[in-house]
Amino acid sequence: MEEHMHPMDSEPERTGYREHLLDVIRTGARRTGCGASEPIHVFVNQQRIGQLDGAGTEATLQVRHQTPIESVHLRSEDGVLLGGLSTPEYGFKSSRIALMRDAVELRVQNTAQGGVVSAVFLPAPGLWHRARRAFGRIVGQGAPRPVAAAGSGGRILAVAQILLAIVLIGHFADRITGWTTPATQPLPVIQADIPQAAPLSEVAKLEQQLIELAQTQTKTIETIQTQQQGMAQLQRTMAKLSTAQESVASNVMTVAQELEHSRKGTEHNVDRMTRVLMNKNRSEREQLEAEIHSLLIANDQLSRERTQLEQNYQELKKQLTSSGQDISKTTVPDRDKLVMAQQDAPPQIADAKPIRPQPPFLLWVSFSEGTSQASIDQWVLDMHGRKGAFSEGWQAVEIVPPTEPMERVLDQIKQTKIVKAVKISR
Amino acid sequence: MSGIGSPSMLNRDRTILDRSEAIARIEDVAATAEDFDRIVSQSLPLLLDRTVGYIKRFLRDTGQWSEDVAHEKFVLRWGAEYLEQFLVSGRFEVPCRPLFLLDSMVAKQHSRPEPFCYHPDLLTPLGRFLDGLVGRAAVSRDALIALYHHCYGLGPGQVIATLRLNGSESPRIYKNFQRWRDSGWKRTLEDIGLTAPDLQGLTEQCHQQRRRFNGEAERMLRFVQAHYRKSEPDHYPCLSRHQWEDMFLQGYGIEYRIWHLALCLNCLQTAWDLGFAGASAIEKPRVALQFQP
Ligand SMILES: [Zn+2]
Repeated sequence: MEEHMHPMDSEPERTGYREHLLDVIRTGARRTGCGASEPIHVFVNQQRIGQLDGAGTEATLQVRHQTPIESVHLRSEDGVLLGGLSTPEYGFKSSRIALMRDAVELRVQNTAQGGVVSAVFLPAPGLWHRARRAFGRIVGQGAPRPVAAAGSGGRILAVAQILLAIVLIGHFADRITGWTTPATQPLPVIQADIPQAAPLSEVAKLEQQLIELAQTQTKTIETIQTQQQGMAQLQRTMAKLSTAQESVASNVMTVAQELEHSRKGTEHNVDRMTRVLMNKNRSEREQLEAEIHSLLIANDQLSRERTQLEQNYQELKKQLTSSGQDISKTTVPDRDKLVMAQQDAPPQIADAKPIRPQPPFLLWVSFSEGTSQASIDQWVLDMHGRKGAFSEGWQAVEIVPPTEPMERVLDQIKQTKIVKAVKISR
Repeated sequence: MSGIGSPSMLNRDRTILDRSEAIARIEDVAATAEDFDRIVSQSLPLLLDRTVGYIKRFLRDTGQWSEDVAHEKFVLRWGAEYLEQFLVSGRFEVPCRPLFLLDSMVAKQHSRPEPFCYHPDLLTPLGRFLDGLVGRAAVSRDALIALYHHCYGLGPGQVIATLRLNGSESPRIYKNFQRWRDSGWKRTLEDIGLTAPDLQGLTEQCHQQRRRFNGEAERMLRFVQAHYRKSEPDHYPCLSRHQWEDMFLQGYGIEYRIWHLALCLNCLQTAWDLGFAGASAIEKPRVALQFQP
């Protein structure tokens, strides 16, 4: 209705909206409500092409586009435009986009065949990080080139995307993407980070650490190379398969047409022939699926290792902060008592007579077999909860009293993958 | 700097003076990125009005313009979008003349077949709600996940079950929901210019004639989804039932599922029909708009 009001009446609304938008533009990238560890989404020509994991380590995304790249945009998980680049029709362009703390280096190359964009997430540098970068350059001269996901056909590309993620989201990004520019950057000097008067033993220790790091890195590169070979093989298989599929389809068509022409021919023969062709197709397909499966397992392995590293990091962070939170811990005994009280009393009573205005709500959760302690902790953290006693396979978890109906909350919890069962009384 | 400004100018001419000074500045050359930032930040209102003027002209020239507040808001919304992009990428184009750089960027946008999602029906409050929300989802993962809630009434657990996501994806879905409720929803409403009375009206209409209302919403939603699906990667087309089944069983294509199914009602229903979400007893997803986060 108000859409057709007289322009005069709507003027304040228009002006208010205009002012709001100007504020939005002024605030820019600072508007994001996302933390530094959230992923950064990469858009090419207004199309989303992937994401960079901003979880404190270097990460790379590289994509080959069949048409020239006109623009590259970086956005946070909540959609705020963090930075971007418009690119020339032909040639090379690169720039470093500063985020809150970290930076992303964008490199775009347009040719007549299309464009290639690579985005490298660079976390805020520290000593350890700089040393790693420097040493990475010294050790590995034979950096592997990433396999680009050029091709056609929905399924092939969908699978290729997963594999691309395995290949590209590596921890040694600067080396992997080094191919777009000749390595003319001067090597940062590691010694600059070591105090002049450092004792010799310290230097030796650091040296030893760097050597160990280099060994780890070499191993990782080997893994990546193996995976690249796997992917190349998979692509060959898929190409073979799609050719096979096409020929099967055309064979079936021919057979069907012939059948149409001579209706007297037995349907049986056609069915048999189709079955034979389809079976042949199926076995090739199964082989392909097995290959995909094994690659997925490798991928899982990698991401598990990564999660482990992240957990270690979180653990360290916790230890660091906990020393500063000793005062707040004085409230903990009270909370523990509360858990005990709820364990002993039937839950109805505990509910009816709250001890304090907003007592935490106690749940008993049983987790699926094989669930790691780390993922349980993560889940509890996500629930904004707190672990209590553990008894006979049931873990007590205190959560903030939900505003939603209890059944709905329990349903939601039950749908979590790692949760086997949940109950509110012991 | 221009020579137009003179200290003896009267105060009432101050605005005009500021305006012409600003024009003179942005017509000048920005030699460095810092120059660019400074020049542009001093003339934002002017640049916004200029961009809005171009979009208006585009709509007029293509026979899509009318004089009402919905159209005014539409051009403002897109003007701001263009300007934001100009701000982040223009600073890498130095040395340049910012004003003409903006002109060329707008011209480039308007040379595309469909620079924005336009349909007269989308200028009603319902249309603006859907266009704004789905448009936001094309650039924001939080908004994308929130679409499952606002369009079909699915909660985080149901999203996870319907898309058959694994344990490691679940926390992120909860986080997306949380951030959307905390800030994303309110900010998106403000950014698309949907007012509290607009929202109130929609809630009442939905309440009075739920079926008819959601039927109308579905028709518009399909139109809007088809437009914004262009923001997906090239290789995320609609899949057949068999292909979805394969993907769900093999466990690949997590991103594919999340992005495509949020933006495609048909595929979402196809995927639901496979029965993988059955254990959690979720009803088949159909359009049931939610006006609260
Ligand atoms: Zn679809």
